[in-house]
Amino acid sequence: MASVEIINLRKSYGNVLALSDIEIEIGTGSFYTLLGPSGCGKTTLLRTIAGFHFQDAGRILVDGVEIQNKPAHKRDVGMVFQDYAVFPHLSVEANVAFGLKQRKVPAAEMSRRVAEALRIVQLDPFAQRMPHELSGGQQQRVGLARAMVINPTVLLMDEPLSNLDAKLRVDLRAELRQIQRDLGMTTVYVTHDQEEALAMSDIVCVMYNGIIQQAASPFDIYRLPTNRFVANFVGGNNFLSATHEGGRALLKSSGSVVADVAGPAGQAIVASVRPEAVRVSPGANIKDHEVSIPVRIAGISFIGREAGVHGVTEAGENLSATVRPSAEILALAKGAEATFGFQRADMLVFEDHDTGRRL
Amino acid sequence: MNVNPSGTASFATRLYRDADFWTLVTIAIVVLLAVFLILPIASVFLVSFFDADTGDLTLNNYREVFTRNYYLKGLKNTLFVGFMGTLGACLVGVPLAFFMARFRIRGKALISTLSILVLVSPPFIGAYAWIIMLGSNGFITNFFGSIGISTPTIYGAHGIILVFTLKFFPFVYLMTQTALNSVNKVFEDAAENLGCTPLQRFFKITLPLVFPAVSTGAIICFVLSIADFGTPAILGRGFRTLSTIAYSAYTSELGGKPTMAVTVSLVMMAISIFALFIQRRILSRRRYASALTNRPVIKQLSGLPNVMMHLYCYLVALIAMSPTFVVIYTSFLETSGPVFTGDYGLNSYRRVLADAPEAILNSFKFSLMAVALIAVASGLISYIIVRRDNMVSGAIDVMMMVPYLVPGVVLAIGYVTTFRTEWFNLTGTWMVIVMIFFIRRLPYGVRSTTTSIRQIKPSMEEAAINLGASPLKAYVTITLPLILPGLIVGSLMSFITAINELSSTLILYTSRTVTMPVKIYISVLDGEFGLAAALSTILLVCTGLCVYAVFRLVEDRETSFI
Repeated sequence: MASVEIINLRKSYGNVLALSDIEIEIGTGSFYTLLGPSGCGKTTLLRTIAGFHFQDAGRILVDGVEIQNKPAHKRDVGMVFQDYAVFPHLSVEANVAFGLKQRKVPAAEMSRRVAEALRIVQLDPFAQRMPHELSGGQQQRVGLARAMVINPTVLLMDEPLSNLDAKLRVDLRAELRQIQRDLGMTTVYVTHDQEEALAMSDIVCVMYNGIIQQAASPFDIYRLPTNRFVANFVGGNNFLSATHEGGRALLKSSGSVVADVAGPAGQAIVASVRPEAVRVSPGANIKDHEVSIPVRIAGISFIGREAGVHGVTEAGENLSATVRPSAEILALAKGAEATFGFQRADMLVFEDHDTGRRL
Repeated sequence: MNVNPSGTASFATRLYRDADFWTLVTIAIVVLLAVFLILPIASVFLVSFFDADTGDLTLNNYREVFTRNYYLKGLKNTLFVGFMGTLGACLVGVPLAFFMARFRIRGKALISTLSILVLVSPPFIGAYAWIIMLGSNGFITNFFGSIGISTPTIYGAHGIILVFTLKFFPFVYLMTQTALNSVNKVFEDAAENLGCTPLQRFFKITLPLVFPAVSTGAIICFVLSIADFGTPAILGRGFRTLSTIAYSAYTSELGGKPTMAVTVSLVMMAISIFALFIQRRILSRRRYASALTNRPVIKQLSGLPNVMMHLYCYLVALIAMSPTFVVIYTSFLETSGPVFTGDYGLNSYRRVLADAPEAILNSFKFSLMAVALIAVASGLISYIIVRRDNMVSGAIDVMMMVPYLVPGVVLAIGYVTTFRTEWFNLTGTWMVIVMIFFIRRLPYGVRSTTTSIRQIKPSMEEAAINLGASPLKAYVTITLPLILPGLIVGSLMSFITAINELSSTLILYTSRTVTMPVKIYISVLDGEFGLAAALSTILLVCTGLCVYAVFRLVEDRETSFI
């Protein structure tokens, strides 16, 4: 296993910039996730590392060795595909042995390594089966065993769980992470599922419009998003317009001071607060919160373990809270008056545009 | 490595890293198509713009075709039999498709098998079998003659139209049937719900919905009718079409420049292309997205309508097959010259072995060699068409339409003008015949293989490459095994059409490279019906065996043949 370094990587399709000056460092044995909406460039980046297409400029180093101009079949990076890509005319065993055959591994060692890989993914009883006799989850295990048996420098995974059903997805992701830890495989993982990214990764790298927005540990991504896009895409957020006066941010809707802000006064800013940080008080019953905002209830969505309470402020802004469901909350009628409250410390302030910086 | 400090890859680096096995294959294919397809057509094209005697650049050749009565008559005749043959094929094929797709018919598989056999058997066999039945000494003519009724002669325009109708209706039938099977039933239900009678519903809803398929079938009929040489050559008797005019111009110009033959052929080709263009224009305004949620139901008719419908389906299939039956039957009759003595025997086959063993051998040799090339080339070409998204692969895809549109006569004359020079003369050699079979039948292989490759996810090959297989190795170990059924079906289709090829071989053959269809054609002209029948039977058996092999290999039998 090896470390990966990507320097100044650029790629465009016609006038569309798919990757813009990508800079990444991945430590040996680390689980690195590329997260973003579709079309953000995450899959392009992964496929560029694999060598399925070439960059316009920039370098990719594995353990300090440049690989960016090598053909794909000489890169020695393993890849797990979204649609499994298990060869349908070869048995499970032959699928896993395919990469070893290309490397002319002696027969005895080959069968030992294939058996070992199949044991790790718990498919040893299925070695002689054909792929069409396996379920989707089992086929993806074959895909994983096939990629890791060649001892690749880096393991690349392109949304490997997205074709599986929800329950299996959660089970397999824990198992995948366990295998990755046990073997110490340097892994680059692509997903659009933020929950998956937060649950599995050492580092989450959020991409948007071909640009890296932030790369940090899952908790830092959630707690201290560097810009408005990350704050919105990971975890969901409320944004309230604010004004910037005398080094302080004031909410437009209530006039309350929410944070100290540096920088030029008068610029358009927004303040964010996570729905799970918002408390709901039915009626006008104001508790001892530092910030409290009167709202009119627009709707309640009850999904079992939690309830979403959607309100509209007097200024007409949407503000949602995620709370433990209670009879009192669920009884709130549309149009009823309530008060939402939250701690000042739970607020972040951003420049008011799509990818506005955190201030 | 060739990289400057900023990491921008230099041109040399890009050239080196982006080129792989498929780049070489693409170049090879472009060269192959340029030499054996574009160059001959271009040279034919050039010849038509020069004066045969003075060598001056001129439009006179075309002026002559459009002013001289001899050519104008041919043009009119060609359009007439083309249109009428196509119309006949539609009138026979569309009702058959409707009955077969929507009603319970006993022996459906038999009828569709017979239709496919009609489709793949060579058209000139049909032509001369009709002579045996309805010619001036035909057995039906004689039968009616003996009871004092004179039957209309088969020679001339109406005979050609009859043969075209019965020969080409399977295209319309198979295409329309496929379309009818995929029309969403909700449209018809909705029409019924809105108060349409079943007949109104057929004409106002169902027929318009399958119109694209009917028109595609019709256009194939039209293009094939226009280019067909064997039928008017055998049945014409003074009724000349452009293809027979081109051929006789070619034989009379032999040695000199085939200027008029070429000009006439190009006019013929222009008609085909124009027809196809018109059809595309009409179709582009009719796009029906069809989500097949409700399959059409198959109804059971009863009483007289049921009997009439069965009668129709079986009559069409049997009449269309009758030339084949006649040919097989007469091959077992004893002959004395052109006259059947009435005794049974295997003399015709003995004569085949004595007179024409080399024709059989050549046919197999040339067709098999061409098909071997086609199998290799279509495997590679279809990969490039499907997997490489660039201008060159797009151009190759378009090129694969060309052999469908270029009549055999045109391409063959192109081969003569291209490969007969002062320094070398390949005309008449086996190589030229193999190459023209190869180019003319390549699209059958490519089309079938392309369909197969489209069903394979690109991630299969990427996985193999990722695991360390070179692009060539990934293709051989992963792609090829997965597309093999499509490749085999495509090769069989190419073989069927190659072994039945007449028009181009007739121009390129010499005494040493005679093939079965050529020998049959010559025998028919010489009145050697016994010999022709025996050879035709052999040809039909080979074709039938290939059809059987295709049947065994594919689930959706009928669509493989159109």
